[in-house]
Amino acid sequence: MTLNIIKRTAICLSLLAAFSCTDNFDEMNQNPVGATTPDLEQNFNNIKSLIKPAFTRLYISDVTWQYQLQQSLQADGWSGYMTTPNEFGGINNHNYNLNQNWNGYAWDDAYVNIIANLFKIEQRAKGKYDQFYSWSLIIKVATMQRITDMYGPAVYSKFGGDGLATYDSQEQIYTQMFKDLDFAVTDLTARVADGEVSKFTETDQSNYGGSYSQWVKYANSLRLRLAMRISKVNPSLAKTEAEKAVNHSIGVFKLNADVLKIKSPLDLNVIDVMSHAWVGLFMGADMESILGGYQDPRMAKYWEPSVQVAGEYKGVRTGIVYPTPSTYANFSQTGARTKTGEVTWMSTAEVYFLRAEGALRGWNMDGVAKDLYEAGIRASFEQNGVEGAAAYIADNVKVAKDYVDPINPVNNSPAVSKVTVAWGATNEINLEKIITQKWIATYPDGQEAWSEFRRTGYPKLFRITNNKSGGVISTALGVRRLPFPLSEATNNPKGVESGVAVLGGPDNGATRLWWDVDKANF
Amino acid sequence: MKKIFLIFMIVFTAQVSLAQVKSVKGVITDSDGMPLPGASVAVQGGQKGTTTDFDGLYTIEVQKGQSLVFTYVGLETQTIVVGDAATINVKLVQGASNALNEVVVTSLGIKKTRKSLAYAAQELKGEELTRVKDANLINTVAGKIAGVAVTRSSSGAGGTTKVTIRGNSSFVNNQPLYVIDGIPLYNGGAGQPNGTFGDLNGGNKDGGDVVSLINPDDYEGMTVLKGAAASVLYGSQGANGVILLSSKKAKAGAESFNVNSVTTFETAAYLPEFQSDYTSNPGDPRSWGPKQKVEGDKEIKDFFEVGNTQITSMTFTKATDGASTALSYANTNGSGIIPGNHIKKNNFGIRQTSKFFNDKLSVAVTANYVTQTINNRPTNGLYFNPIAGVYSHPRAFTLNDLKTYEVFDPVKNMMQQNYPGFATVNESNENPYWQINRQKSVDKNNFFTGAIALDYKIAEWFHLTSRYSYNRNESNFQKGMYGSSATSLVHPTGRYINSNLIGTQNYADLIALFNTKINDNFSFNGTLGTSINHSRTTGLTIDSGIGGGLVYDNIFTLGNFVNNNGNVQTGSEREVQSVFAAATFGYKDYLFLDVAGRNDWSSTLANTQDPGYFYPAVGATAILSEMTTMPEFVNYGKVRATFAQVGNDIASTITSPTSSIVAGNIVNPTVGPRRGTSLKNELKSELELGTEWRFFNNRLGFELSYYTSETKNQFLQVPAESTNPDGFTFYGINAGSISNKGFEVVLFADIVRGEKFNWDTRINFSQNRSRVNDIPSESTGGRIVLTDPGSNSYRYSLIEGRPFGVIEGFDFKRDAQGRILVNDDNTLQRTDWKEIGNANPDFMLGWSNTFKLGAFTANILLDGRFGGEVLSLTQAINDFNGVSKATGDARNAGTVNINGVKASDGTAVTSMDPYEYYSNVAGRNGVSSQYIYDATNVSVREVSIGYTFNKTKLPVFQTATVSLIARNLFFIYKDAPFDPNVALSTGEGLQGVDVFGMPSTRSIGINLNLTF
Repeated sequence: MTLNIIKRTAICLSLLAAFSCTDNFDEMNQNPVGATTPDLEQNFNNIKSLIKPAFTRLYISDVTWQYQLQQSLQADGWSGYMTTPNEFGGINNHNYNLNQNWNGYAWDDAYVNIIANLFKIEQRAKGKYDQFYSWSLIIKVATMQRITDMYGPAVYSKFGGDGLATYDSQEQIYTQMFKDLDFAVTDLTARVADGEVSKFTETDQSNYGGSYSQWVKYANSLRLRLAMRISKVNPSLAKTEAEKAVNHSIGVFKLNADVLKIKSPLDLNVIDVMSHAWVGLFMGADMESILGGYQDPRMAKYWEPSVQVAGEYKGVRTGIVYPTPSTYANFSQTGARTKTGEVTWMSTAEVYFLRAEGALRGWNMDGVAKDLYEAGIRASFEQNGVEGAAAYIADNVKVAKDYVDPINPVNNSPAVSKVTVAWGATNEINLEKIITQKWIATYPDGQEAWSEFRRTGYPKLFRITNNKSGGVISTALGVRRLPFPLSEATNNPKGVESGVAVLGGPDNGATRLWWDVDKANF
Repeated sequence: MKKIFLIFMIVFTAQVSLAQVKSVKGVITDSDGMPLPGASVAVQGGQKGTTTDFDGLYTIEVQKGQSLVFTYVGLETQTIVVGDAATINVKLVQGASNALNEVVVTSLGIKKTRKSLAYAAQELKGEELTRVKDANLINTVAGKIAGVAVTRSSSGAGGTTKVTIRGNSSFVNNQPLYVIDGIPLYNGGAGQPNGTFGDLNGGNKDGGDVVSLINPDDYEGMTVLKGAAASVLYGSQGANGVILLSSKKAKAGAESFNVNSVTTFETAAYLPEFQSDYTSNPGDPRSWGPKQKVEGDKEIKDFFEVGNTQITSMTFTKATDGASTALSYANTNGSGIIPGNHIKKNNFGIRQTSKFFNDKLSVAVTANYVTQTINNRPTNGLYFNPIAGVYSHPRAFTLNDLKTYEVFDPVKNMMQQNYPGFATVNESNENPYWQINRQKSVDKNNFFTGAIALDYKIAEWFHLTSRYSYNRNESNFQKGMYGSSATSLVHPTGRYINSNLIGTQNYADLIALFNTKINDNFSFNGTLGTSINHSRTTGLTIDSGIGGGLVYDNIFTLGNFVNNNGNVQTGSEREVQSVFAAATFGYKDYLFLDVAGRNDWSSTLANTQDPGYFYPAVGATAILSEMTTMPEFVNYGKVRATFAQVGNDIASTITSPTSSIVAGNIVNPTVGPRRGTSLKNELKSELELGTEWRFFNNRLGFELSYYTSETKNQFLQVPAESTNPDGFTFYGINAGSISNKGFEVVLFADIVRGEKFNWDTRINFSQNRSRVNDIPSESTGGRIVLTDPGSNSYRYSLIEGRPFGVIEGFDFKRDAQGRILVNDDNTLQRTDWKEIGNANPDFMLGWSNTFKLGAFTANILLDGRFGGEVLSLTQAINDFNGVSKATGDARNAGTVNINGVKASDGTAVTSMDPYEYYSNVAGRNGVSSQYIYDATNVSVREVSIGYTFNKTKLPVFQTATVSLIARNLFFIYKDAPFDPNVALSTGEGLQGVDVFGMPSTRSIGINLNLTF
C-alpha cells in the first residue's frame, strides 16, 4: 500500500499536474468492504441477496422501534389488540390525532428495503430465471397488500420509471396484484410438476425451506385474502379469484404445517420487547372483554395476568385519557405467544375463516361454512397448543364480558360484542362470529385485523372516549386509512397529488379506501 | 512566471561571477536562537549583498578585512570585520522596535515576516499551552485567540474538544486543520454521538481524535490561521482555518534536560440542585410521594469523587554543528470524578535533524507515538450513563442502598442487578453502580506519526523541499455488559462490543521555494508545489447484540457469540492530489502583494463531470508607518486586505455508491446522487480587511480584522423519495450556503513595565453572525436536521434564513394575551416544533493578564461568552421525576403559579398542582421552551501563580519554577444549570443541550518545571 502510494506520488509529482492521476478515483471512492455487482453474480447471489431483506422487513422483526412505527402504534392499537397508554404529547394515533411523524414509516421502509430490491430482481431475473421472479412477485404482493390497505393508492406500476413516481389507484393495485400472483402461481406450479429442485432453499428464511409448492400454497391463500377484501366492492371478481385460489391443484393452507412463519434473525420478539423491556405495550380492553368472556384458553398464551388486579387479566381501553405513561403500567403484558422470535405471515386458521366466509357468500370453497368455521377454530387452538376446542365450539352461552377500568371508572363499558362461539342462524351473525374468531386467531397481526374490521365492522370494538382528531375522524367509524407519508409530501409531491386524485376523498384518516364501501355485508 | 525566472537567473549569475574572494557562511539568529529568514547581509561600502534563507543561513563572497553588515528590520544592526574564520554566526538582539521583526510560521511551514502577511494570524507561545496544562492541549487555547470558539466535550480527561474558527461554515465538518511542522495531521477518530437518548451500542461515546493525544511539551508555539486566504495552500482541509504547531527545536550549541510535572485535583462543579423533602411511592420510578426527609444534594455531591491528573514530561535536547536531537517522553495518569474513570497516556517523541553536502541538504526526521487508555470514559444521554441513574433514582432509597448493585440469584447461580423496589430495570433506570462495575468500558488509542522532511538548497534564492509523513490512529472501544442489565440494551446472557477503527494518512509534497531581492526596492518570495494526501479508514466492530446474546453468560469473546448479526466491517478511502503556487512581491519592505492559487483533484468526486477544481487568493499589505512619517509614538501601522476562495470536496463513496453486506443481508447504499444529476465541490469565498497598530515603544497595540465569507454548493444529504428505484434513503446534492461575517479585535498593553513589577494585559474580542441560505424547500422543507429528536423535545437544525444551529422544541400555546391555553382535562396546550433557542454566542471575550513581581509571575485568564441559548433536558427530566429542587419548592408552596386560561370557556387558570404541572411540562419530551437558558457566562478560566527560583542559587538546575494553577476556577456569571462551554458532542450535532452530561470540573494543582 505504502509502496504503491510512494510510486504513484512519485509519478504524479514528476508530472506536476500536467496530468493528474485520477484514473483509479472511482475504485478508491467505492466502499472497500462493500459488495460489487460482479462479485455478487456468482450463484445467483445478486438475486437471492435481494429477496432476503423482505423476510425481516415485511413485519420488522429485528429493530423494535421500527416495528413500533411500522405497525404497533397504528393497526395493532386500532385492531383492539393492544395499546401503548401514553399521551405522546397529545399527538398520537389512539386518540385519532394522527401522528404523521410515525405514520409514514411503513411506506418508506417497504419501498426502500423491499420494493426497490424486488425491482432489481425483476430487471435481473425476469425471462431468465423466472422462478426467482415469481418468488419476488409473491413477496411483492404480500408487501403491497399491506401498504395499499394502509394508505390506499400507492406506487405500483410506475415504480422504477424516470423521475418521481405517480400512484395507482387501489383498484388498479388489486388488479395487478392478482395478475402478478397469476404469473407466479403458473410458473412455480409448472416447476413443481417438472420436479425442479428448488433454487430457494438457501435463501428462504421461513419454515418452508424453499419448497416451491408451499410458496404456491401461500400465494393461493394470499389470493383468497385479497379476494375477500374486495368482496363488497367487486363481488364477481372476488368470487372468481377466491375460487381460483381454493380450487387450484396445489390449493390453500389446510394444515398448521402450512402456517408461514419467519424466524427473527436476532431471535427477539419486538412485541415482547415493547411490552416487557419497555413497559410500554399492554393488552387491549377488547381482548380482555372477548377472550375473558369466552374464557378462551388462548388468553393465557397471549397475555400475562396483571399486577393491577392480581391474578386477573386486565386490558387497557384504547383512546382514553392516559394521565401519565406509567398510570397503566401494571396492566396485562404480552404472553408466551409473542416470546418465540417467530413472526407469522399467515395462518391456516385465517384461511379456514376466509373459506367459511366465502361459503357464506355462496362461493365454491370446497366445504360448508359451519365446518370451515369450526376447522378454523380447531386450527387456531392447535397452533397455540391449547386444548378444549370441541367444548369451546359448542358453547352457545358465553359472550364477551363488560369492561371495568380499575383506575378510572369513566372508561367502564358494557360489552359491545354480543355473539357466542357456536354457529348461529343468520349470515350476518355467522359473519360476525367468523370475523371475531378470525380476529382472535390472527393475533398479533393488527394490520390484517384492522383491515377486516374496516371491511366488515367486526368484531365490535369499544369506541375511544378521547377523540382529539378535531372533528376529522368520527368516533363511531374510527380511522379508515393512513394519510400519505410526510416524506412523500415533501419529496414526491406530484406523486401524492396523483394519489389524492384517485383516493376519492381528502387525504386524511377518515377517507374510506376503495374496498371499504359503506354498505351492508350481504 | 517565465519572466520571474529570467530575473532570478540574472541575479544568480551576477552572484557567481564574483571570483577571487573567500566565501563566508553562517547563521543569523535572534536572541532566543531562532533562525531569522530574510535578514540581509551586505559588504560595507560595496554593492554585494544577500539575504538569509528560511533557516537563517547565508553565504557571501567577501575579502578578508572587509566588514559585513547584518541587518534585520526591528533588530539592532551588527557590523563584523571578516577575519580568517569561514563561518560567522550572528545573534541579532532586539532593537527598540520589535513590531517589524516578528517571524510567523505560515502555510506549509513557511516562515514569513509578520508584517508581510495579508491576513490575520495569531500566535500562542509554547508557554501559553503548558502553563495551566490540560490533558488536551486544545483546551488551553480557550479565550486566547480572537475568533476561535473552544468547546470541551463532557467526556472528561482525554476527551475531544470542538474548535470553531470564525463560525461554522460547513454543514458536515467545521473542525480546523491541524498542521505540525508544515505537514497536515490526520485528526480522525471514532465519531461523535448525535442523539439525546444515547447510543444503543454502548452509550453516547466520544470517539476521540488525534489532536487530543499529542504532548503539549513537544511544541514551541502555535499559530492560528483564521481565514481562507491563510489556508488556501492547504486546500479543502484548511477551509475551516488552520492551527499550526511547530516542534521544539534544539538551540544550537546547547544541551538541556527539562522536566515538567503537573498535578491537579478535579472536583465536580455546577451540579443541578435537588430537593430533600419528598420520597417516592413504592413501585414508582418518580419521586412524587409523601413528604418525608430524603437525602438531597449531599448524596449526589458525595457520588462524585475528587479526580486527580498527573502529567509528567521530560524533554532532552542537544544540538551540535549541523545536527540536533530532541527526545521527549510524557506520562499522563488520572482518575475522573466518576468512580471507575481512569486515563493513562504515554507520549514518546524524537526529532533528529542533520545537514549534509556542505550543509546544502537538511534532513529532519520526526516520530511520535502515543498510547492512551481510558477506563469508563464518561458518556451522556439516558442509556449506559450512571449520571442519569444517580440524579433520577427514586428517593425512597438512597445512593448508598444502590451500592449493593447485585444480589445472588440461586436459580441461575449467578449475580443479578439489584434495583431496590423494582423487579426489573429499564434502559433509563439502571443501577448506576451496576453500570460502573458491570458495564465497564475501555477506550484505547494508539497514534503514530512519522515524517521525513528534506530541504535542498540549490541556490541562495532557490530551495527544493519535499516531505513525507505517515499517520496512523487506532481507536478501540470495548465494553462488556453483564446479563440482567436492561434487556432493551443488553441480552439477558450479556453483551460484548469490541469496535476497532484504524485511520491512516499518507502525505507527500514537493515544493520549490524562491526568495530573493530583485533589487533594492523589489523583493520576491515564491512557492510552487504539488502534494498528495491519501487517507483511509478501516473499521471492524464485533457486537454480540441485544437480540443475539452470548452462548455462555457474561464471557466476553467473539467465539461465544450466538450469531454474527452485530459484526460489521466498514471502510473508506480518499485521495486529494494538488498543485499550488503562491507569490509575494515586496516593494521597499513596506508594500506587499500576495497571489496564490491551487488546484485539487479529489477521489470523492469520481464519476462527476470534473474531479478537479481551482481556487485563487489575492492580498495586499501596506506598512503605513514605514511609508509615511508618523508621530513618534506610533511604532507600527499596517493595513491589509485579502480575497480568497477555498474549494472543498465532498464525503467519500457518495458518487460511487456500492452495496454492502451486513449480517448476511445486502444493504443498499443509503446515499447517492439523484438519477441524472452530478455533484461538485463546495466553494468558500472570503474577504478580509485588517489593520494592526503599535504605539508607545510597542507597549500598546491592537489588531482589527473584519471578514465576510460565504460557503456555497454545500454538500447536503436530503431525504430521497422512498419510492426511488435505487433504494437510496438520501440523495447527495449541492445546495445551501452559509454566510459568516464578523470582526475580531486583539488589544494588548504593557500597562506597567518596571524594574520590579510588570503588568501585561491582552484582550481578545470576536463577534460572528452566521446565516444559512438556499436550503432547497423541496424535500427538506427549508430545514436540515442535524440532530434528530427521536421522541424527545430537542431538535438541532439548520433553518433557511436563520443562524447556523438553531435549537427547536415545544412551547406553550398561548392566547392573544400571552396566557397558556389549558384544556379541560388540565393538560397544557403546546405548539408544534418551533425555534426556542440559538446555540451561537453573540460575541466572545477573552481577557488575560500577566503580573510579574520579582520572581513571582501571576496569570489570570477570564473567558466570556455572551448571548445564545442552551437547553437543559437534565433539568427537565429531574423536574419530571420530582427530584429537582424546583419541584420540592413547588410542593412546599402547594401550587405552581401559571398564567393560563381554559381554552374552552376562557376562565383564568392561575395555579396548578405541582405534580400535574410538571407531568405536563417537564420530562425529556415536555415543553422544552421552559428549559431554555441564556448561555451567557463569564468564567475565571485559568489562574496561575508561579515562582522562579534564582538561577545563581540553584545547585544543579539551570532554571526552576513552581506554580499554583487552576482551571475553570469559578463562574463570575452563569444562568444555565450546567456549564455551557461543555458540549455533549464535538461533532456538528447535539450542541447547546445537556442530557446528563458529566458535570464540568474545577481543577486546582501544582506545576513544577525544572531544566538541568
